[in-house]
Amino acid sequence: MNIKSIKTNLFIGLQYLTARKKQSLLAMLGVLFGVTTFIVMVNFMTGVNDFLDAAVFEGSPDITISPQPDLNKVMDDLDLDLMLNPLYDLDKIEDILEASPNVRAYSKQVITPAIFISQHVQLPGAINGIEADEEKKLYDLDKRILSGRGFESFSEEGNIVLGTSLAKKLMVKTGDSLRIIIPNGNEKQFRVSGIFSFGITTIDNVRTYAPAETLRSLLEQEELITNLHVKLRDRNNIEIKETLLNRVSKIGVEDWKDNNRTIVAGNKVRDVLTWSVSFALLLVAGFGIYNIMNITVVQKRKDIAVLKTIGYKNTDIVFIFLVQSLIIGIIGALLGAAFGYAISYLISVTPLQAKDFIIVDTYPVNFKGIYYILGIFFGILTTVFAGYFPSRKASKTDPVNIIRDI
Amino acid sequence: MTAAAHILKANALGKQFYEPERHYVLQNNTFEVAEGELVSIYGKSGSGKSTLLYILSTLDTDFEGELLINGTQIKGQSQSFLSEFRNRNIGFVYQSHYLLNEFNVLQNVLLPALKLNTHSRAELTEKARTLLTELGMEDRLSYPVYKLSGGQQQRVAIARALINDPGLIIADEPTGNLDRKNSEMIFELFQNICKTRNTAVAIATHDDKIYNNSNKSYEMIDGSLRL
Repeated sequence: MNIKSIKTNLFIGLQYLTARKKQSLLAMLGVLFGVTTFIVMVNFMTGVNDFLDAAVFEGSPDITISPQPDLNKVMDDLDLDLMLNPLYDLDKIEDILEASPNVRAYSKQVITPAIFISQHVQLPGAINGIEADEEKKLYDLDKRILSGRGFESFSEEGNIVLGTSLAKKLMVKTGDSLRIIIPNGNEKQFRVSGIFSFGITTIDNVRTYAPAETLRSLLEQEELITNLHVKLRDRNNIEIKETLLNRVSKIGVEDWKDNNRTIVAGNKVRDVLTWSVSFALLLVAGFGIYNIMNITVVQKRKDIAVLKTIGYKNTDIVFIFLVQSLIIGIIGALLGAAFGYAISYLISVTPLQAKDFIIVDTYPVNFKGIYYILGIFFGILTTVFAGYFPSRKASKTDPVNIIRDI
Repeated sequence: MTAAAHILKANALGKQFYEPERHYVLQNNTFEVAEGELVSIYGKSGSGKSTLLYILSTLDTDFEGELLINGTQIKGQSQSFLSEFRNRNIGFVYQSHYLLNEFNVLQNVLLPALKLNTHSRAELTEKARTLLTELGMEDRLSYPVYKLSGGQQQRVAIARALINDPGLIIADEPTGNLDRKNSEMIFELFQNICKTRNTAVAIATHDDKIYNNSNKSYEMIDGSLRL
């Protein structure tokens, strides 16, 4: 088919399309609705997923290495062991981590249970003793600081940094003092030097940072390392977990999936829901077009017979009818993308009050170009499919039968 | 008359139907149509004249015998070839309602020319305009065709049949839905076309007047043409 006959066939197709404006408009609205919903749902759902990922995974280690408690240890009933289990074979673990290209950074931790005592409230919890230089490579805490300072405040002795929800429960603010008692009975007066928020209460409720050295002297355990936190370059590649478990004994290794099962499952459910609902809607739009084109082909049997007798080929007839659904599809998809963008924007500026679980001002919405391309692509693809079968049926029309009938 | 070249040659043309039982609708038809000749085929409905017309118009290729149009063997050609062939060599006029309602008068006439595509759209439009003017339709060019009277519609159909200057026009009961006056006018048009354009016209008809005034008149009886 050359350019000129494409022009001719396009002219004929357009003439039919504009002759039944109402039907064409309805079919187009179907595609528009499908693509709009597709884009809004994908934007919103992936927005929520990405937001949760960012909140949870950016604030948590991908891999946590901890010592396995020695269950065979003979213990005197009265003499409770108040010493924390250190990580043995630390050198070996560090060698493995250093050798792995997928390890972005790791940080040595001294994690101890503690009781926080503020002026008004007493709460049990835990403290992460860290080396500021190492921990900095894991999390960008400065971005998360609500008041005061982050890790750099640890250059001064006796500073502690808290999550915002915890600080609220303890009724402390930056500059207040906070007394900490650890299991061995030692206690120390800290000063709250900073309050941060990762935007998710599971972190902001519990996380507390203090310098590792301060905790070691309180615990009276020199050189103590209780945990290693690891950040990976590719979070989905957790080979290192197997390697560690195979080569180092008496350690426990947890990955982000173990710790965030509900979120991982939630993401999956949202993904399945988004894609299936979106495609179902596009399918419905497709059926609408299929129906309209089928009716058109039946109504236009006579015209098709005439076109065929005066020299139009089967490919011309397919083109003439397919181009009609294609135009419906293209206009519907483009308008759908525009509406999708508009509605996504409206959602993204809608205030959201969900302080119990996540801390966010408005609904999280993604604005990625690829979703618009996908929406437009699938919108048009649906109409091409829906239009193809009636068009092929049209081209198979036998003019003799029709002329004989009338 | 004998010197004129033949636009159409049929040799032992026949066709069988297999339903409801095997029988011949057309049998052993041998005839010729010369250039510029007006040939009429008279017959009762069901006599097989429509079936013959579909074969002559290359729409039905499932026949026995031999058919040559403009020197081209029709039997065994592909659908695609025949589409182009019809477009270039054959014009069609049916009973009145075979115009495309979504298109205006001028556009209807242009449809075969746009398909053939040998001239620019402007040239083709000019040609269609001239043709329609010859047929007395110059003041109806952008009319929707369904608003025309039966006689006017048929004139548009004739213009459409002529636009690609075919050597042969096939007309199936072209006056079937027209009153006496319009019938006569359309028949005169066909006679003119034969004379001035040297285009052959084959008309299937019930109309005695056409039958009596053709260059050659056949009667179809039980699937065979008789002079």
